[in-house]
Amino acid sequence: MTKEKTYPRFTLAQRIEHLTQLVSFTILAVTGLPQKFVTAPWAEGMIVALGGIEQVRIMHRVAATILLLATVYHLVMLGYKLYVTRVKLTMLPALKDAVDAWQVFAHNIGLSKVWPKMGRFTFEEKVEYWAFVWGTVVMAATGFILWNPIATARFLPGEFIPAAKAAHGGEALLAVLSILIWHFYGVHFRRFNKSMWTGKLSEEEMRHEHPLELADIEAGTATRPVDPVDLRQRQRRFLPVASIASVILLAGVAWFVSFEETAIATIPALPTVEAFAPQTPTPIPPTPTPPPVESLTWNGYIGTLFATKCTSCHGEAGGLALTTYADLLAGGANGRVIDASTPAESLILVAQTTGEHPGLLSEIELDRLTQWVVAGAPER
Amino acid sequence: MPMDIQRRGRLLLALVGAALLVVLVWAIGSSSQPARAEAPTGPALAAVAEAVAQPGISNEYCLSCHGKPNQIETLPSGELRYLSIDAGGYNASVHGSGGYACVQCHTTIREYPHPESTVQDLRDATIQGSETCRECHEHNFELTHDSVHQAALDEGNRDAAVCADCHNPHYEKQLNDPTTEELWPNARLAVPQMCARCHSTIYDQYKQSVHGSALLGSADQPGGNADVPTCIDCHGVHNVVDPTTAQFRLNSPETCAKCHTDPERMTPYDLTTHVLDTYIADFHGTTVTLFERENPDQETNKPVCSDCHGVHDVRAVSDPEKGLQVKQNLLVTCQRCHPDATASFPDSWLSHYVPSAENNPLVYFVDVFYQFFIPIVVGGMVVFVLADAGRRIYQRVKGGAHA
Repeated sequence: MTKEKTYPRFTLAQRIEHLTQLVSFTILAVTGLPQKFVTAPWAEGMIVALGGIEQVRIMHRVAATILLLATVYHLVMLGYKLYVTRVKLTMLPALKDAVDAWQVFAHNIGLSKVWPKMGRFTFEEKVEYWAFVWGTVVMAATGFILWNPIATARFLPGEFIPAAKAAHGGEALLAVLSILIWHFYGVHFRRFNKSMWTGKLSEEEMRHEHPLELADIEAGTATRPVDPVDLRQRQRRFLPVASIASVILLAGVAWFVSFEETAIATIPALPTVEAFAPQTPTPIPPTPTPPPVESLTWNGYIGTLFATKCTSCHGEAGGLALTTYADLLAGGANGRVIDASTPAESLILVAQTTGEHPGLLSEIELDRLTQWVVAGAPER
Repeated sequence: MPMDIQRRGRLLLALVGAALLVVLVWAIGSSSQPARAEAPTGPALAAVAEAVAQPGISNEYCLSCHGKPNQIETLPSGELRYLSIDAGGYNASVHGSGGYACVQCHTTIREYPHPESTVQDLRDATIQGSETCRECHEHNFELTHDSVHQAALDEGNRDAAVCADCHNPHYEKQLNDPTTEELWPNARLAVPQMCARCHSTIYDQYKQSVHGSALLGSADQPGGNADVPTCIDCHGVHNVVDPTTAQFRLNSPETCAKCHTDPERMTPYDLTTHVLDTYIADFHGTTVTLFERENPDQETNKPVCSDCHGVHDVRAVSDPEKGLQVKQNLLVTCQRCHPDATASFPDSWLSHYVPSAENNPLVYFVDVFYQFFIPIVVGGMVVFVLADAGRRIYQRVKGGAHA
């Protein structure tokens, strides 16, 4: 049995490019999804397993940078193919793809006997490619905003930043689900397609999956003939332009990842206060000797209480004298201190209850004073 | 047969005995729960019995001298120690009304003249005196051992608070409802003034805050609102922890959330209870929450509640001077960590709103878009894939091959 004929499908460079995307996409998904669903226990477990949230964010950004570099490479290669080798644009979507998709679906549900013949890239592969392009554009744009929120806020309303976060998360979920459903089914489950690793397809595979491309190859029309002189000339022109474009794009990536210092790296200094700042005069002793209570009258208690606690200020000065019973009734600079109609609201009590007065009676003393005032402030 | 009955009888007896033993062990176990707050147990009761058994050491005996005014002792430090007790005040106190005898706390004193005192100065008197509280209040006493006050005391800082600094043993009234152990509202109102005796600068800030002004009153309101947190609601009471640690900082959102996610507490003030979940949903809160769970003592510069709202001086968000609803105030706050932030940057923070058509509509509509877009795209893929897989399985079962 002779060795089966094979057809080249992916160059080594393309395979390496795919591997780079595979690795960076996986890291992005593994480090990104737990950030989106951070309150879920599985997400927290993943973050812990990956070394903590700060490390997960760094890994996500490293993987994003790799994917950006792969994108730059892809764009430059695209330029080379478009201008220098002028290959057929087999990845461009066409009306035929919609028809193919419908025919496949109709066939699958038994509405049609026809199975469409497809070219180098089937509609399924085009969906993947263009979904990846769309996803990369959305993720890069929103990722830039999240990476550089202060710069963004200079040009756009601040609300674009949380909106970008919402879009980044939504698009991520869509991308991962698409890969798991569309890509995994198409190249892993339905039939394990090894061409992204081996770089080639068998004749049998070509006949089944890409019959139109096989026909083109056999007819010799798969690639456009290129005049070697023209090719060399175009290469000479392309090289400087591509170099400049590459430098600009790489500078763009560098700018993307290091544009701004979003936040300080230190812990912000809070205004500090002296924790130990005892009140003056220090309420020592904590239990100043209360004068004995003979009776709850001026003569029996209150006069002595005022004499020991108040009159050092409220003797001559302090806007109010409390030395004698007559002094008390006379009131002070702010009027009467005992309110006969509503005794509980007397100034002398209010001043003691708000906590603002420099010297404060003890709770018991204030209780007794209150009782005395409410009882009509008797002298004897 | 009789043997059998006998054996059964013995078994029954053994079972009843074992059951009784279990009940007994359980009863003893449940009665020897650790002492809490105002529930004196073992040693206290023994001391009462001892005091009663020893005639001549009644409170009247002590008060025959200490009930007189101006009983003053000059300490070695030269300070004057007031030794007079107001009998009426004591009898009205939680200890006095509970019938406790002087000698139950002043355990070393049995007669006159008293044994020589080792007290050197007034501070010494308070610190030494507080040791006796352990006899009845063991639980709370143990709690203080974990406190920042005890730590400072152990380092030789004699200013650190001990029991008697906050609780005057002679005149303290019952502070809590004995059944629920909740502080009486009046006792709550008095807490900040108590802490202010040593922490007066913090008290001055608290007084200006949205919490403190509601409790203590201000030019705009009468005060007396016991709904707001006092010092101990955030710092704890007997086991006051060091508030300057990374752990305290990382845990602080939970501290605020205790009240601020409670609809019962927030509804009367028309405050949202979504402050914690919206915080956690943002980068700042995500980091802090994860750090708190995984590395509670790790430093992070991501802000916690107090970094933006203030600590003791926390103001209402509508406060013109510091409130974060005022755009300029928010910008200044952002700039503390994001020095290059410009005027529209603060809008990137959703201000604790859950995105809706009214608040943060852009975020809301992006979310809505993906809520529809993802199921439509993925659903389409699933239908397509299932049709393909279904047909292949069907053909394999039938033994056919595709065209």
